[in-house]
Amino acid sequence: MATIANDFTINIATANGTGSQSANLILLQSLFEMGIPVSGKNMFPSNISGLPTWYIVRLSDHGYQAPGNRTHIQVLVNPTTWHEDLESLEPGSVVIWNENAKMEMTRDDVISYPIPMSSLARKINPKIAKLVTNIIYVGVIAEILGIDQAELESAVAKQFKGKTTAIELNITALGLGRDYFKENLSKSDPYVVERRTIEKKQFFIEGNEAVALGCIYGGVQLLAWYPITPSSSLAEGIINYIPQLRTDDDGNATCAVVQAEDELAAAGMVLGAGWAGGRGMTATSGPGISLMQEFIGLGYFAEIPSVFWDVNRVGPSTGLPTRTQQSDITMLYEGSHGDTQHIVLIPGTVEECFEFGWRAFDYAERFQTPVFGLSDLDLGMNRWACEGFEYPDQDMDRGKVVRDRDVFEAFEDFGRYLDVDGDGIPYRTLPGSGMDPILYRGTGHNPKGVYSEKPHDYFELMQRLRRKIDGARDLLPAPILREETECEIGIIYLGSMENTIQEIDDILEATGIKVSQCRVRALPMHSEVEDFIRRHEMTIVLELNRDGQMYGILRKELPNDLITKVRSAAHSDGDPPRAGIYAQLILDTLKEEEQ
Amino acid sequence: MSDTPERPARTIKLNVLNEPKDSYTGGKSSLCPGCGHDQISSVIINAAWENGIEPHRVAKMSGIGCSSKTPAYYLGKSHGFNTVHGRMPSVTTGAYTINKDLLYIGVSGDGDSASIGIGQLIHSIRRNIDMVYIIENNGVYGLTKGQYSATADIGSKKKKGVPNKTQPIDLCALAINLGCTFVARSFSGSKKQLSSLIKAAMSHKGFALIDVISPCVTFNNNDESMRSYGYVKENEITLHMTDYIPHFNPVEEIDVPEGHYRDITLHDGSTIRLETISAEHDPESSIAALTALHHAEVAKKHVTGLLYFDNSKPSLAEDLGLVDMPLVDVPNDVLRPSKDTLDKINTALYN
Repeated sequence: MATIANDFTINIATANGTGSQSANLILLQSLFEMGIPVSGKNMFPSNISGLPTWYIVRLSDHGYQAPGNRTHIQVLVNPTTWHEDLESLEPGSVVIWNENAKMEMTRDDVISYPIPMSSLARKINPKIAKLVTNIIYVGVIAEILGIDQAELESAVAKQFKGKTTAIELNITALGLGRDYFKENLSKSDPYVVERRTIEKKQFFIEGNEAVALGCIYGGVQLLAWYPITPSSSLAEGIINYIPQLRTDDDGNATCAVVQAEDELAAAGMVLGAGWAGGRGMTATSGPGISLMQEFIGLGYFAEIPSVFWDVNRVGPSTGLPTRTQQSDITMLYEGSHGDTQHIVLIPGTVEECFEFGWRAFDYAERFQTPVFGLSDLDLGMNRWACEGFEYPDQDMDRGKVVRDRDVFEAFEDFGRYLDVDGDGIPYRTLPGSGMDPILYRGTGHNPKGVYSEKPHDYFELMQRLRRKIDGARDLLPAPILREETECEIGIIYLGSMENTIQEIDDILEATGIKVSQCRVRALPMHSEVEDFIRRHEMTIVLELNRDGQMYGILRKELPNDLITKVRSAAHSDGDPPRAGIYAQLILDTLKEEEQ
Repeated sequence: MSDTPERPARTIKLNVLNEPKDSYTGGKSSLCPGCGHDQISSVIINAAWENGIEPHRVAKMSGIGCSSKTPAYYLGKSHGFNTVHGRMPSVTTGAYTINKDLLYIGVSGDGDSASIGIGQLIHSIRRNIDMVYIIENNGVYGLTKGQYSATADIGSKKKKGVPNKTQPIDLCALAINLGCTFVARSFSGSKKQLSSLIKAAMSHKGFALIDVISPCVTFNNNDESMRSYGYVKENEITLHMTDYIPHFNPVEEIDVPEGHYRDITLHDGSTIRLETISAEHDPESSIAALTALHHAEVAKKHVTGLLYFDNSKPSLAEDLGLVDMPLVDVPNDVLRPSKDTLDKINTALYN
């Protein structure tokens, strides 16, 4: 039988809270150490223990990181979803199933590997049999696919860092799984792994941890947060790095952390920090941003530097708290009542998570306004290959702050909201500095910061704010362009769709369609995005939501002659984007156009 | 006393910083003539001037409402932030983490503090942030034309409408139960007491709450109201005479016999002297404070004075474990770890 190497998807169905996550990470890490391009996605419930969880491991020599369009190897441990998982398989798929689960194998068109996982686990230690069951199936998979034992053992050591008992126990369990398969079953499937040589060194890291590290190097001075999935690990990442990176020899830190009473208070604290001249931030998700709207408007209108990270989950309302989506784009860009417009940074890789983590503070202080980082659950909570983080290539930009009396005296006329330089960005003084004070307010004000309801003052203020944010366009991260020469069709996409785009592109190319790509990395959109649209006959905006939010923003901002060139291809079912679905959406859009 | 026969024309009185009182005033008030809030503003001006506080070291914080407009009317040389309704505590908390050395004076109202912002008030007390928190409490919403607030007393009737039937929230009782470290109640008409309390609050380390009954002359100053000037004057129970002695003045002996007065030393070395004139009150007993509040409520009276004091608790700045220097002054190269540290992190992650 011909073998299929490094090009298949494993789906592991367990219940959450049973320890399956660490077993799955050991599997993922060992494949990664063998140099195999691999990605792992945790599809978990909003629950502490007992509800269905799937872990999807995709191996792909093409470097595809999306979950894949079908499952090739199914591991069945959880009786609750047994039949559902089994029924969804294509004929010929492999099923590794727990013989002790008191469930039946109801398919005869699959390659069936029954394993008495629970009784094997009980042999090691009956008290923790449930936990051990998970590592048994990893041993079985390793044997079936030919995963190197040394890499498995080093992955175990990495997972349990120095906990000798746990390491020994897991290695024994791996062996039991391997041996059972060797002695009782024979391989009748085509799937194998092959070691690859990687040119560049890489490591695995979650997007949230990468943002956290970026914020630490951005000089964050206040983290005010309220726990919410899927952003909690971002805040906790910062907290974990403070002792190592932001604490002096006496144990005193240069970053304050306050766990707020709710997201409103967290946002208020961030604004307070910005008002006082510090770098304040929060990390939250859509529901938190909904609650923060009032302060976001105040930050915009009173011009307070502030940083908000939104790790997007599925809305509206509580939605699907543990699933991914790109549905907060409009809420961030136009957040709060009244006319507003905000800077939004949209990383698509873990390297960019780090970079935008520190840059967000520079933009916030430069433009004296709220700046958002828009990540999502897929990017934030899953592990991605990273080639290493690059140290900031620019000094911290603290913006237009008047710190010296001499500089202050040199102003012909000083007003907190006076547009001295014509770029819409005024100068500010800090409380406690002894420079001229003002009473900041969310009410209408004149260039001096004094309360005003005069039509002229309000109109001019709003025009200046528009000019200020608009002026940020080409100073924000430019889009990443991958253009085919003389290509008629362009694709605009954003964020973690980066991990699916190559596969979409290959599917399209297989049907004879070539497309150029433009990944938007910030709002307001860089002028290169408009140029990209202009160069193509038609541009399709690909996004992970129902309504085509990015498409809506483009339609609003593009010149009239370009609006008709843009189409929307938006889809979201809670799952991370599968290439097949989006390629089909593009094909359907093109077909509609032909008719 | 000086025995100079002739006063020189236009003597300008200066405080310990050689600053005239003008350095502490603000813009012209746009509140209704006779509003209690304006009296409180003038007490704040006096207190800051007499205490010799550098205006640029003060941060004036407020939310939304008649009370929250007042920071425009005092301390014109101080930075301030007129934030959003009920959210001043969180903004102050954030500012305080960045610059713990400023004197934060928050002014709020009963709508701001007892309704929309009660959660933030509670949590800022819980964290014991260093601030003076003045509630200008009149029992009604003024800017929206006279609806009852959550502090309106049962049976009290505002100028228009029916008497209030809903149980009021006593913010002093709430604060004491939360472990607030300085809790006082006063009346905008009692300038001397209010002045001593505000000065003492400025000298306190931790959260100092002063609930000031401040009649609304437009919507709630009628005879049937329990928060009118007339009613409060008739029904005020004063716990003690209050005197404030700043740290730069000697504490003088007084004619009150031992056991009838009590000196409390504040964080900056100043003293608040409480002279017992009615029932004995131990300001370090929360039970005594809550009892005094309860008795007053039953008798439909308002008890004023320093209800509760506790200087044993660490403030948020101490709990945060930060460097001594206010974070705002920490240089950029300290805030951003060196390249070397990132190289080490990359290396650790590769292995």
